[in-house]
Amino acid sequence: MIRRIGRNSIVARIVWLHILVVGSVSIFMPVALYFLLASETNEIQRQFITSQVNQIGKYLTRDDNGAWHLDLPEGIQDIYSEAYGRYRYAILNAQGKVLFSSLADKSAVFPDGVLTDETQYLERRDSGLTVQGARIPETIDGEPFWVEVGEDLSHRDVIIDDILGRFLQRVAWVTLPLLLLLLGLDIAIVRTVFRPVIRASEEAEAIRPSQPGVRLPSAELPGEIRPLVLAINNALERLEAGYRQQHEFAADAAHELRTPLAILRTRIDTMADREVSRQLRSDVERMSHTVNQLLEMAESEIFVVGPEEQADLHAVAVDVVSFLAPLIFGEGRSVSVSGVDGPVPVNGNVEMIARALRNLVENAAKYSPEGSEIEVIVDQAGALRITDEGAGISDDDKQLLFQRFWRRDRRRGTNSVGLGLAIVQRIMAAHGGEIEVHRRSPRGTEFVLRFRPFAPDAPEDSVGAV
Amino acid sequence: MAGLRILLVEDNSELAALIMSGLRSSGYLADHMASAADGRHALRLGQYSLLVLDLGLPDADGLTLLRELRQANDAVPVLILTARSGVSDRVEGLRAGADDYLAKPFAFEELLARIEALQRRPRQLADTMLSIANLKLDVPNRQAFVDQEPITLNAREISVLELLLRRKGRVVPKQVFEDQLFGLSGDGSPNAVEVYIYRLRKQLVDHGATVKVHTVRGVGYLISEANA
Repeated sequence: MIRRIGRNSIVARIVWLHILVVGSVSIFMPVALYFLLASETNEIQRQFITSQVNQIGKYLTRDDNGAWHLDLPEGIQDIYSEAYGRYRYAILNAQGKVLFSSLADKSAVFPDGVLTDETQYLERRDSGLTVQGARIPETIDGEPFWVEVGEDLSHRDVIIDDILGRFLQRVAWVTLPLLLLLLGLDIAIVRTVFRPVIRASEEAEAIRPSQPGVRLPSAELPGEIRPLVLAINNALERLEAGYRQQHEFAADAAHELRTPLAILRTRIDTMADREVSRQLRSDVERMSHTVNQLLEMAESEIFVVGPEEQADLHAVAVDVVSFLAPLIFGEGRSVSVSGVDGPVPVNGNVEMIARALRNLVENAAKYSPEGSEIEVIVDQAGALRITDEGAGISDDDKQLLFQRFWRRDRRRGTNSVGLGLAIVQRIMAAHGGEIEVHRRSPRGTEFVLRFRPFAPDAPEDSVGAV
Repeated sequence: MAGLRILLVEDNSELAALIMSGLRSSGYLADHMASAADGRHALRLGQYSLLVLDLGLPDADGLTLLRELRQANDAVPVLILTARSGVSDRVEGLRAGADDYLAKPFAFEELLARIEALQRRPRQLADTMLSIANLKLDVPNRQAFVDQEPITLNAREISVLELLLRRKGRVVPKQVFEDQLFGLSGDGSPNAVEVYIYRLRKQLVDHGATVKVHTVRGVGYLISEANA
């Protein structure tokens, strides 16, 4: 699975840097090569000119009369012919006088300039003509001469022009794909190197509170990242230990608190004096309720919902209302289940949802006038609505509603420690659900518990199936 | 009769003593063991009609003992006592082969009632006379009385009343009425049950019965004493 690569990822950074490098290399490399090639061509040119000079020098001879002759073979003459026009030569004596020249007016190739003992590379530009060449001193038969050879650049060899002219383009066409290929290879390499890291992060993402034993794989990780993953694994280890401790605490506390209560309760139940027994029993019941709420709170703190847990909201609603109805009707109120009359599967734990609903219905009954109705409405969308006809909840109270030990009125005799709503909220959080409180008009309160639909594999298939 | 003996495995000696004395005064023969090992031993030696098993034992989890029993094909009814109240514990207990489950603290009467139920003593059939407040139902003779005076109810109304009285103080699911009154044929209209309840309610009021038949909308029906 390839995840969207963010701008901050290492791969993205490498890609961006690489693109920069590719960009600059593909500009600078052809330019550098161009200059290299140009200077190389120049060098070849000079060598050619020098060899031409030497060649011409060879054909300069002095006859018996002491007069100088230049007998160029035909092939060489052709090169310097006016018709061809590309190359030209001239031979100057020590006085700077032109002895021989390929030019019609017998002029020097480079008319101005000083004769020196060293090879001179010269360039001449006039009347739309650019001539490049050399003037080289030669000593023939003990007499000094200067041989000039020039090349008319306006007739310069087409092939070299072409090479230089199209070089940039060509090089670009070759280097760019090569560099891009390199870029692709680099990305692939980086990906391969980072695959274990990505796998580790996927595993980390899949860790849920319901599976605290999971650790990230560290075997294939690069050495730079392994310490990080090992540190995370150690942290998970400590979290799991803490989680276990919490679990054990809740279980131990349950045992430590409920067993003495059971003893007390049984002792009272077997007492001879019925009247005292009845009074004590109600005390014990209140105490048991408090203890139960505290334990429920502790249990809900560490409770997690597995992804495979399924609960039917309608069945839970019917269960809870059946359980509470005798009490509620006995106190002169009524309670009902309405809405969807069929299974409404959600992802959740039956016991915990029942616990949340029971707390809310008990609460509603506690704060409703006699003769009023408490209604549990099962919503097809995976929600339970609990409505009452009580005084309603003010906006100020809404803020405080879910705090532990909060109660609207601390009237004596209320069999409550105010943990109910905190428990409900915690249970809903564990379900990844939502809890809402609304004021009803003209009076009353509506609590809404929204759950996630049960969808283990295909979300669209199981939702709404009745 | 060894068949009516109860074995209590509970490590808390105080609670055990109280339960034992309660059981004895209710006419049961009972033995007490304080650990899983002792309990295992006692079960091997004696024959018990019921095992009351605490889950938090010092030497082993009660569930371990329970699983051993079931693996050895011992079908003795087992009632689990536990301080844990989560449904997962309950489900685990029942899955391990427990017949019933009671969370601490419990009312002793509740314990007795469940023991009675597990003894498979036909309690309901023994109740030929069902009653609530000033209303009585003579089940075999299909006759109801208010303040000892017989009142006329038709057969279906009597059936409805019997269902309500057998589960007095609890909600009787609507489905139970439909099944009982119309059988599996399901030829009763959806409102039929409501109609019978309505008639019964009217009859009871007319004859001055101090009871109330509540409709728990969406769930079922419930009979209770009318509040003064």
